[in-house]
Formats: sequence, C-alpha cells, structure tokens
Amino acid sequence: MIKTESSHINYYGHQPGSQVENREQKKQITQRAGAARELYFETKSSVSMEFPYWYTRRWEELEGEIPVIRRAEALKSGFSHLTPVIYPGELLAMSKSSYLRGSYPMPWLSEAFFMAAEDKLYKEAQESGKLTADQFTTMGKGGGNVTRSIGNVISIAGKFGLRVEEMPVMIEIAKKWKDRSVDDVGHKYEQLVPGYSEKEALMRSVICMFDSGYTLPQGREVINYYYPLQFGFDGLIRRCRTRMEEVAGYPEMDRLYYYRATMILIEGLQQWIRNHAEEARFMASIETDVPQMKEYEEMAERLDWLASNPPRSFHESLQMIWLLHVAVLNEDAISGLSPGRVGQVLFPFWQRDILKKVITREQTLELLECMRMKFTAIDCFASMGVVGGVLSGNTFNNLCLGGLKKDGTSAANELEMLILEAGISCDTPQPTLSVLYDEKLPEEFLLKGVECTKIGTGYPAWINNQVAMEFLMANYGHEGMNLEEARAWSIGGCLETSPGSWMPLELDGEIHWIPGGSAPATSVGVHFLSLPKILEVTLFDGMDMRSGERIFPAHGYKLDTYDELWNAFRDYFRRACHVLTLTNNIQHDAWRKISPSLVNSMLKPDCLEQGKDIGQMGCRYNATFNIESCGTANLINSLASLKKNVFTDKTYSLNEYREAILANFGYHSAQETGSYSLIDQIPNDGYDRWKKIHRISLDAPKFGNDDPFVDEIMKAWETWFCTMTHDFRSLYNEPMYACQISVSTHGPMGAVTLAGADGRLGGTTFSDGSVSAYPGTDRNGPYALFNSATCWNHATSQNSQLNMKIHPSVVKGREGSRKFLDLIRSYLRKGGFHVQFNIVDSRMLKAAQAEPDKYRSLLVRVAGFTQYWVELGKQIQDEVIARTEYEEV
Amino acid sequence: MSFQSCKDCRYFLPVDVFYGLCKRSKNKITQDDPFCDQAEKIAKCKFCLNYSAERDFLGKCKGTTLAYPDMVAVQCADFGWIEAN
Ligand code: SF4
Repeated sequence: MIKTESSHINYYGHQPGSQVENREQKKQITQRAGAARELYFETKSSVSMEFPYWYTRRWEELEGEIPVIRRAEALKSGFSHLTPVIYPGELLAMSKSSYLRGSYPMPWLSEAFFMAAEDKLYKEAQESGKLTADQFTTMGKGGGNVTRSIGNVISIAGKFGLRVEEMPVMIEIAKKWKDRSVDDVGHKYEQLVPGYSEKEALMRSVICMFDSGYTLPQGREVINYYYPLQFGFDGLIRRCRTRMEEVAGYPEMDRLYYYRATMILIEGLQQWIRNHAEEARFMASIETDVPQMKEYEEMAERLDWLASNPPRSFHESLQMIWLLHVAVLNEDAISGLSPGRVGQVLFPFWQRDILKKVITREQTLELLECMRMKFTAIDCFASMGVVGGVLSGNTFNNLCLGGLKKDGTSAANELEMLILEAGISCDTPQPTLSVLYDEKLPEEFLLKGVECTKIGTGYPAWINNQVAMEFLMANYGHEGMNLEEARAWSIGGCLETSPGSWMPLELDGEIHWIPGGSAPATSVGVHFLSLPKILEVTLFDGMDMRSGERIFPAHGYKLDTYDELWNAFRDYFRRACHVLTLTNNIQHDAWRKISPSLVNSMLKPDCLEQGKDIGQMGCRYNATFNIESCGTANLINSLASLKKNVFTDKTYSLNEYREAILANFGYHSAQETGSYSLIDQIPNDGYDRWKKIHRISLDAPKFGNDDPFVDEIMKAWETWFCTMTHDFRSLYNEPMYACQISVSTHGPMGAVTLAGADGRLGGTTFSDGSVSAYPGTDRNGPYALFNSATCWNHATSQNSQLNMKIHPSVVKGREGSRKFLDLIRSYLRKGGFHVQFNIVDSRMLKAAQAEPDKYRSLLVRVAGFTQYWVELGKQIQDEVIARTEYEEV
Repeated sequence: MSFQSCKDCRYFLPVDVFYGLCKRSKNKITQDDPFCDQAEKIAKCKFCLNYSAERDFLGKCKGTTLAYPDMVAVQCADFGWIEAN
C-alpha cells in the first residue's frame, strides 16, 4: 500500500499516472431516453398528499368495517384518485404520484415524524418564502435532493420537497393516525416485552439502526408478475369471485374477506390505469405533432387494454410489469422491491414479437432504456434515518440476469444481452443489475456483463448462483424447497437471497416456465447491529461511553483472557438479538393487522390459491426474517489487535487500551475535522502520548491479507453468528438467519462509535459490506483478499458482500476484460457469494467532492447499490474515496 | 377571484414541486408563474362548490370532511364548479 500524503488515497500496486483516468467510453443513449434523463437531472424529489388524503378519508368513513376490507377500500380510493400524468416522449406510462420523482408519506405506518416536526414545518413555511430565486439556483449540490426550504417549497429532512399549500393537510392527516399507526400500536405492545428498556437503549446508542416493522415493512424481496401477465385483471377478479363463492360461510372465514378485499383493490387499480388512458387521450387531443399524437393514442389504447386483459406484446408486457411494480410500491413504504429476472419473464413475449417482426432489437433497446428511466425515478418516503442513513436515497430495484432454468441449463438469453446493453448506454442507478453467476453461463454473456461493469456503472454485481441455491435449500427445505425450485431464485433488494418459484406462462398454447418471487420481505427483523459498537460496550462493561448511558447490565467477566472477551462479546450480542427479535415481531404483527399487504399478496404464489395474504403466511415460503450485521472487518481487526497486543504479546493492558480509545488515540474527532475517513484525521496536542499504541494497533494483523491469525477469528465469528441466528424465531415461528450487508449504515454507525483497538478513529466510517477489507489495510493484493473473504462458508448466510475499487487502466480493452472476468471467476470459484466493483480513479471522486455541480451524472457503487455521487452523504463519500484502489490485479 | 398560477391550469404538467411543463407549448414553467391567456382552470377543491375554506390551506368538503384547496380534483366524482369556467 502506498499512502499518497498529497491526495490521501489508498493504493495497492504502483501509483497511477499524473492524469486522472476516465472510465472506458460509454455508448450513446437513444434520443428519447436521453431526453428523459435530462428531465430527470433537472427534477427534485417531490412529495404530494393526494394518495394519503384519499386513503385516510376512505379509511375514516369505514370505521368498524372488517380490517382487510377497510384497507382495500382505502387503497382503492388512493389509487383511483391519483391525478394521471403522461410525459411527452415516454413509452411507458404511470408513476407513484403526479410528480416525476414523486412519493408520499404513509402516516398509517408512522406519523411520529410529522407530529414532532409540526412547529418546525410551520416555521419553515414562513421562512422559505423570504429566500430569493437566485438562492434556489445554488441547489445543485445534492443532485435531486431538496436540501433547503425555498419559495413555496418546504424541505423535509434535506431530501424531499413539499409545496407549502400541502403542509397543513400533511400535519392534519398525520394527526388522524396518532395512536393508530403501525408505529404507535406496535410501540404500545412492544413495551410489554420483558427488558424492553434495553431495546430503547440499544436504539439510542445506535447499536441497532432501525425498526423494520413500520419503516420498511416490505421490500428486499422479488416481485412476481405472473398472474396479471397470464390472466389479466379481469381474469383475476373472476378467479377471486369463484374462490370467494367456494369459501363463503365455511370455516377459515378470513379467506372470504381476503378474496373480497382483493377484488376491491383490483377495481381501484383498474380505475387508476383507465385514468391514465384518459389522460393520454387528452394529451393526444391537444398535440400538434403527429407522431407524438399517435404515440399518445397508442398509449391510451394499450392502457385501456391492460386495465382488463393480459398483454399481447412485449411492449404491453413491459408496461404491465412496470405498473404492477408501481402498484406494489404505492401500498407500503418499500425499499428493495426487485423486479427479479425480467429478461426471462418477458422473453416469451419478446421472442414472439421478434419472430413476427412486431419489434426490432433497436426498438427493444429504446424501450429498455425507457424502463431504466422509470425505475431511476422511484423514490421512497420512509423515516428520515432510513432514507438518508440506511438507503442513501436509493430504492434498490435489482434486476437479475443469468442463473439457471428449471431444467438446470443456462437461463441467459438474448433479451438479457439487450438489458445489459441498455444498462451501458443508459447508465443510471436503477434498476441495478446482478449476474447470477453459474459455470454454465456462456462466455459471450459473461463478457457482456464485464463490459457493463467496466464502464463504471457499479453494476452488474456478480453473485454466486450455486452458493445462493445451497443457502435456500438449507433454509427453506422444510417448506418444500427443492433443487429445481431453488433455481428460480433471485436477489431481492441490494443483496438479499430470495426464494422464487417457476410459474407456467402459457402463450399460444406453449408453456414457458418463468421465475418470480414467492416469499415476503426477506430482510425484516433485527436491523442492523453494529458489531464494533457492541465490542466497545463489552470493553466498558455494558456502558456506552459516548453518551454515558448503560446499555447492558455488567457482563461479569474480568476479561483476563481472550476467550473471556470473546464470550462477553457474544453474550451481549445474543442479548441484543433476543430483545430486538421480540419487539420487532410485535411491530410486524401490528403491520399485518393494520396495514396488510394486498397488492403484493395478490402477486405472490400461493396467496390467491390459499386465500391468505402475506401476513397470514399465504406465500409459498415464509422463513424470511433475519439478523443483520454491520462493521464486520472492524470487529475482526479489533479482536485480532486485542488478542495479539493484550493477550498474547502483552504489550499493552486492556485498561491502557480503554484509555487510548477514550482519548481517540490523540486525534481530533471526525466531526471536528469534517471528514469521516481514517486517513484524513488530524492529531491533537495529546497525540504523542498515544502515538505508540495507535501505531501498534494499526500494525496489528488485518483481515483481507490471507493471514491465518486474523482469518481464524473471522471464521470463528461467522461460524457462530450464522448458527446462533437460528435460535431466534420470527413472527411466523420460523428460524432466522444471518444477513451481512452494510448498505449505508456503516456511515452513521461509525459516526457514534469510539475509536477501536484496530486503530480506527472515533466517528469515522466503518468498513463497508461484510467481507470487504477496511480501507487501505488489504496490502497483499486481490487474491489474498479473496482467500481471507472465503475462509468461511458463505452458503450459511443470506449473503456476504465484497466491494473492490479498481483503476480504469487495469481493465482497459479486450485484454483487460478477460483479465477482469478471470478475477471475478476466481473469487466466485473459491465460494465467494458476491463481488462488486467501482472502476474509477479516486482522484475523480475527490474532484467531484470539491465541485459536485460538474459531476451530476457521476455514478459510484456503494454497498449493493449504485448512486449518483452528488446524492451521497459525506460519510459515505469519504469511505468510497478511502477504499483501497487496485492499480494491478 | 384570487391570483392564479400555472399550478391551477389544466395544461400544467407537473414535474416536481418547483416546476412543470406546459402541455401546449412544452415550455418549462414554474408552478407559481401567472396564468397566460390560454390558461384554463383545472378542477381543484378551491374551485368546488362543496369546498369551504377555514384557515390557510385547510378547509372542509361538504362542511364535514377535511379538505385542502390545492388538491387536484379531476378524479373526484362529487366535484362541481363554483362558477362557470
Ligand atoms: S367534492 Fe371533491 S373537489 Fe369538491 S371539495 Fe370535496 S373533495 Fe374537493
């Protein structure tokens, strides 16, 4: 590793040349999608109240009604009252609200934020009007985020814009949900869990990041488009009516209400679609440009057809899956609703159109680019800590490619090649792409994937198909998962292995087995647990020394040996899992009672067959709750440092380490320096006293170097963690499993954690992912990193995450592509679950940090998602810059 | 009638909380630009005979139900214009 003092970048190998290297040449976006992207770049995240207003109004009218019917009527009212908007040039219509990048609050999940912020919002409304239009133009920073209130727009949490005219009604609607929202009801009952106060302390100390029950109750799962693609909405209503008549009056009466509720919901969706058809007709009526007028008329006809019937063409099938996607997103605050293996789901429609010459490959590419623009505009209005601190504004719609067919042969197809092509020419954050890597995939397909990753989009991520299938068989085997069904899997959200099923799509008398999700959210439960913070609290016998608050009772160990430290840490970790699992189960129970899923349930096998929604375990697979960790490499490195320096070499005592940690090794805090990466930190006057212990901590063995001393600690942790999670039972009485992705939590969690025995300084960001090395500490090259990362069995966890940053020159040209594919293969062949790349010159990121306005379109890979650089928080930007940049592989 | 801006016009195509496009001219306009001479009012609660204002940006629909003046009401089945448009 060479540390360049001037630019503060961690390099492996030689230093790059003096010129900042651009990424490899991108392909030209089509004119239509290019115009849509320009419009997107000028668009701010915008919130509107239409849907929540009509939802709440109908909900109130139906006081006393059966809850699931009440929910269906409320959703129907929301959907059917949304103002339809059609943008010129678009080939796929419909979006979450009447704004391009629109979203809205769902106070039935949680209203606490608006209640707490009422005074502040009114004040903002008064102040905002005093700012001038000139000041508005300074809002380039932050990309599409409304970072401050201005004119008639109020900024909510520095992210969303809300018109002043809609602020009072937002508050009034929120008030109506007080003590009735999932958050409030769940909170009322979670307090009945013995030891509840410990949960509160865990949240305050940010050992745990958020409650999934009311923040993001759905998502991190794969949608299933099969039923509407096969039967159309009228067909689904007929199926519901038939089933309703079969079950009416018989035991398990909830089925009756469920079918009735689904019919009501579908009527709302049909009205919503028809309203858009009507708007397309209106747009045609005032259009003077003949080709555009014709497009509006065709759109109106397409939407009218789809409101009742299954699609007849590839274009219609793409429109259908898009509107279904939006429909699910509109029923809950959702991140990580993955479209899954779209190229395989829609292949039968596309192949038929190609054969009949209904569509060309060029037209397909244009449509796929338009699809990317639709997905890129998806926003999610969840609680602020979640949107900023966890998601970095991303919504994680993961489209997967490759994998295997039902019969075990390669599933890659020509439409997927075009999806990759569209990902290259229209490089935007959504949908992110993942290749389900299997040895059976053709070389040409893999090289196309490499071509896409190389241009710096951060996608596709590379995922090990066989490892995922092994995980699924182990965790869902008792629910009937077999090898054939395991092949239908996909990634839900950024990196959550999610069960799928094969659905028999019949087209022109031929059956095509298409994959689709068949489980609810696969990442709800205990979210996220800060491993370095739990170790810190262990060292201080249960105290959070930052706040002075006791988190756990004293652990009772003297910590005279490494084994005692290890046992004390595990005891605390288990305690945290225990109370958080129970309280989370209660929150999710409140969710399924107050706000049951209806749109998503209608799509997921086997809810319609069983007459049960997702919350009643209507899905085929239900063992989907997990325990998520954050900061793995910092935990492992700290344990390695303490094991060596305190317990083996006895160079320092544990007390000396405690003092050094409290003194932040003689450095200013990260908040003071305004930077969150280790190499930018500044010593204070007391530095000399702590210099030696800090040096020895930094020099202690580090994960990621193929060093058995530290890899054994990693293996011990992973083996224990991936097993102990099964001791906890979900709301659905299923064992839980380990999930190891950091998303963006390594920023805020690092910010509240003191220095560590690994030499990390207080307040700085943790390492990302779960098998990524801490920035700058992987000194022995990529293959050593791979050996360390695979020292444990990745199939025992829902995922693992490895991020690498490579200089563009390393993978340049065809030769570079082959070298790159070899690198990816070698990791996956070792049993690695996932690897993703930033192909970027770090100096470009530094430049973008200094002058964000010049880099509006710069994309980077964070942890499981790609995002515009300018929309990332500083903590995460600093971490991405600090990652080791590989100059040779 | 009070000052009316592009956000009250049926030819306003909203893009975000700041701006939109004119459906006729395709020009970029802000929500708060004044009506041009081709503007036509869009159905909103504040133009509805069922709406009664109570305080800034809040009112009642049919005297009983919470409503807000700037809600677009093109999908409201009970909407009726206060005056000839
Ligand atoms: S009837 Fe409709 S448009 Fe009129 S005030 Fe009530 S909600 Fe608004």
